[in-house]
Amino acid sequence: MRDLKHLIYFEDLLQEANNELVRKGKEDGNLCLGYTCYFMPEVLLDLPGCFAVRLRAPRCTSPDMASYYMSGRTCHYGRSLLERALEGGFNFIDAQLATETCTVTCRFQEHLDYMDDVINNATFKTSFTDVPFKKNENSIDHYRKQLKIKVLDFLAKEYGVDTSDEAILKAIKINNEVNDIITEIGNFRKLDNPTITGYEFSVITLVSMVCPKYLIVDKLRETLEELKTREPDDKPNYKIKVLLAGSENDDPDFVKLIEGCGALVVADRHCYGSLEARQHIDIKEGEDPLTAVARHYLLTSQCARFMEQKEMRHRKKVLADYAKEYKADGIIVESNKFCEYWSFERMIDTIVLPRDFGYPVCSIEKEYINTASGQLRTRFQAFVESVELKKIQEGK
Amino acid sequence: MKKPDLKKLKEVDFKKAARDFVYGKPHGERRLGDLYIPKTGLYKHREWRGIKDTMYYFNHIWLYNYGMIVRDLMVYGGGPKGMIQFLKGTWRYRWMGQTYLTVMHWFDRCLEGMRGETLAASAWHFRGIVSACLYQITGFFNRDLNIGGDPELRAKTIGTDETVWGGVIYPYMDQGGYYLPTQMIPYFVTCHCNNHTVLNYIDAVQAYGLPGDPCPMCQAEAGIYIEDDVPDSYVAMVTTNEACDSSVGTSVIQDWMMNKPLFAMPQVMQFDDDSVLENCAKEIEMAWRFMEEHTGLEFHWEELKKHIELQNKQNQFEREKWDVAANTHSYPINGVAQALYRIFYSQYGERPFWHDVDKKVRKIMEKCVNEDINTFPMTRHRVIAWSCAPLYYSAWCTWAYNCWGLNTIINMDSLMFDLDIRTDTYENCLLDIAKYHEWAPMRRMAVGGLQHIFELWENMEKFNCDMVMMYDQLQCKGMQGVVGLFEDEFRARNIHAIWMPHALPDKRTVPRSQIRQIINDYMFTVMGEEPLDPSLLDFDDSDSW
Repeated sequence: MRDLKHLIYFEDLLQEANNELVRKGKEDGNLCLGYTCYFMPEVLLDLPGCFAVRLRAPRCTSPDMASYYMSGRTCHYGRSLLERALEGGFNFIDAQLATETCTVTCRFQEHLDYMDDVINNATFKTSFTDVPFKKNENSIDHYRKQLKIKVLDFLAKEYGVDTSDEAILKAIKINNEVNDIITEIGNFRKLDNPTITGYEFSVITLVSMVCPKYLIVDKLRETLEELKTREPDDKPNYKIKVLLAGSENDDPDFVKLIEGCGALVVADRHCYGSLEARQHIDIKEGEDPLTAVARHYLLTSQCARFMEQKEMRHRKKVLADYAKEYKADGIIVESNKFCEYWSFERMIDTIVLPRDFGYPVCSIEKEYINTASGQLRTRFQAFVESVELKKIQEGK
Repeated sequence: MKKPDLKKLKEVDFKKAARDFVYGKPHGERRLGDLYIPKTGLYKHREWRGIKDTMYYFNHIWLYNYGMIVRDLMVYGGGPKGMIQFLKGTWRYRWMGQTYLTVMHWFDRCLEGMRGETLAASAWHFRGIVSACLYQITGFFNRDLNIGGDPELRAKTIGTDETVWGGVIYPYMDQGGYYLPTQMIPYFVTCHCNNHTVLNYIDAVQAYGLPGDPCPMCQAEAGIYIEDDVPDSYVAMVTTNEACDSSVGTSVIQDWMMNKPLFAMPQVMQFDDDSVLENCAKEIEMAWRFMEEHTGLEFHWEELKKHIELQNKQNQFEREKWDVAANTHSYPINGVAQALYRIFYSQYGERPFWHDVDKKVRKIMEKCVNEDINTFPMTRHRVIAWSCAPLYYSAWCTWAYNCWGLNTIINMDSLMFDLDIRTDTYENCLLDIAKYHEWAPMRRMAVGGLQHIFELWENMEKFNCDMVMMYDQLQCKGMQGVVGLFEDEFRARNIHAIWMPHALPDKRTVPRSQIRQIINDYMFTVMGEEPLDPSLLDFDDSDSW
């Protein structure tokens, strides 16, 4: 396939957290607000005068200082973020909107709060939001109240941010614009012979999370237009199509590694994936924008921390439905080493998805940065072969 | 016949030997380590504590508890039928079959070297724990459909995740409502009595594909379900996110394995934050409605109030105990008894047997205070134990006192749940119950926010401690995530802290001998001290219960 015009530019933006557009956004006088988890609604951090940056620690392979603080037995992602912070790599963020949603990222954010000298930025403050474990009305109500107190009131009080309904509506509008573009781009993955690779899509999704939206939206739109006329290769250079599910993954090279083994990644349901993060935010009639945001972010998530009985069961079906919709032949369920939610979820997925839904599953435990992993390559190659053989036996 | 060695006989100090026989050897001369049969941890012969204490141990602890075990089985089990159910359960469930014989050895390990009032008060705590366990065991087996239990009793019983506070059943107790923490006996208690028991369950869940790094407590909990080793004694289940991310994962496994109606009663993640209480309170109310729906029981406010008020009394006595522990040398309860008793009753909820124990302990403690008895006379350091403790070596406190004079005054688990719940109105009561959940283990001090974890410093001061035994649960992400900050603070505050690595119930990760070695090394090299009982420095108990 023809190369995407902006791909190299997008890749460059992912090389460091404080990228060119983040710097530009700050030069424009905006507040840069960091977050780590989907449950911190990025739309509320994109209020007028602010922009959201989902924190990453690209190219961090050896978080030595962070391992002193968080030991070597915690999630590599959380440690890598702390390492980057200790290196001074997050001095550009003006506030951290934190969530207590998984233990290690919470601990990382607590370090930012507790250690005065980590973020060298005079305006820096943190605020922690309590996120419910259920999706009932009580949870939505609680979540809304938390967002009001811990995000909106915090931003208004500490930074003078306009948090009115009108401001939230504006933020929803720009977010929806990006969401719709990414969703439309993602839909090309549903084609029998997709015109976008999983790697390319991963890069595009990620830049939309780590750059000010008003600065990246034009290039995203241009990329969408380009894809509309992009011709697929005559002969597909993949053997099977897979859905990638699991925990935190902001490393496009991991997707590249999978695709290098012959499995095209056509759907992404993981912490930095698009299937949840890039859904259009709807406001019901008579609903205030903050309630709409709370409802949206709770109901769209299929995170493994939801514990209602129906949710624990339903999310398997959601995965299977995604696999069907995106014509995936199998599912790769990954979890970061030391991620407890996804260790358990992955184990159950590995049993339930083949048994109840007929999807072969490749269960993978990975590190934050995995490019050079020969072991993973062997696992993926074996999985691709097994699914391929199954397809041949079924005469597909 | 060989002639007696008169020279040797002359060297014997008969006066001292007689004194040792009557009163027991003084601390430092006991050589308790010589009593062990290598590897097993069993005794070659029982410890001679002097006439009075040996007789007390034999009569009032050994015989008494064996007798009371049979009595409890008969009373709680409802007569001979309960005994038959107990035997069936012992045959059916691995955790029961492997543990019932080891109970008194557990007493021995934890009470080793104790004398006088300390021996008595600590033993009463164990008596309370055992009684509570038998209450639950008979509760399990009498209702268990797997072994021909009573379906009518089962119909009024709610199973819960171990860390759901037992008070959820208070409003229904007068109608026969029953609460069974499904892992407390099968995994938590059995691990204390016989640390081999849970290894099988951990292996089982890992054989299904779970990595080895999540909390091993949760692994064991999940493994019990995977092995189908949970009695079918309840109609529905209430689960929780307490204590950590792994507990959420365990709930997923429980749901898939047992396939019963399940209600998630998650606790908020924030502390001392009024903005989260309302949500928590509503979830508790929803849990009650769920329980009513599945058991047909009705909510009785007066019953709830009655038990809360009794629970408050327990809590008030606990504070009195802390006051004595903090400000005198007359606190007669050793570290392991204090920790286990407190976590058992505060987690399981108010029941008559706790009050019986408290009465006895109060009497002993008042005697100690009034007569100014130094209950741990060989104390060199007053220790506070922080974070979550090794279940397979809860008796380390006893060992550390006997070997090094390290007296564990208080521990983190004991300090949780420190709240008197208001009963003036339903609304206040509910809000306080919500707060009580916020302060549950380990939410407040292990996986919770930093400010609460660092309550260590004020508690060190409050309890006049000069040393920290810092539990280093290798798979606890919450505590692993702050090790460096603790190190920094220890240095900045010039505090002696010994990091004790362990893996909760899994003795294979850090064996008991390694834990002892770490403490020994610190005491020799950093503190520059010599042991009180060198025979305890190193011994092999690798195959012991």
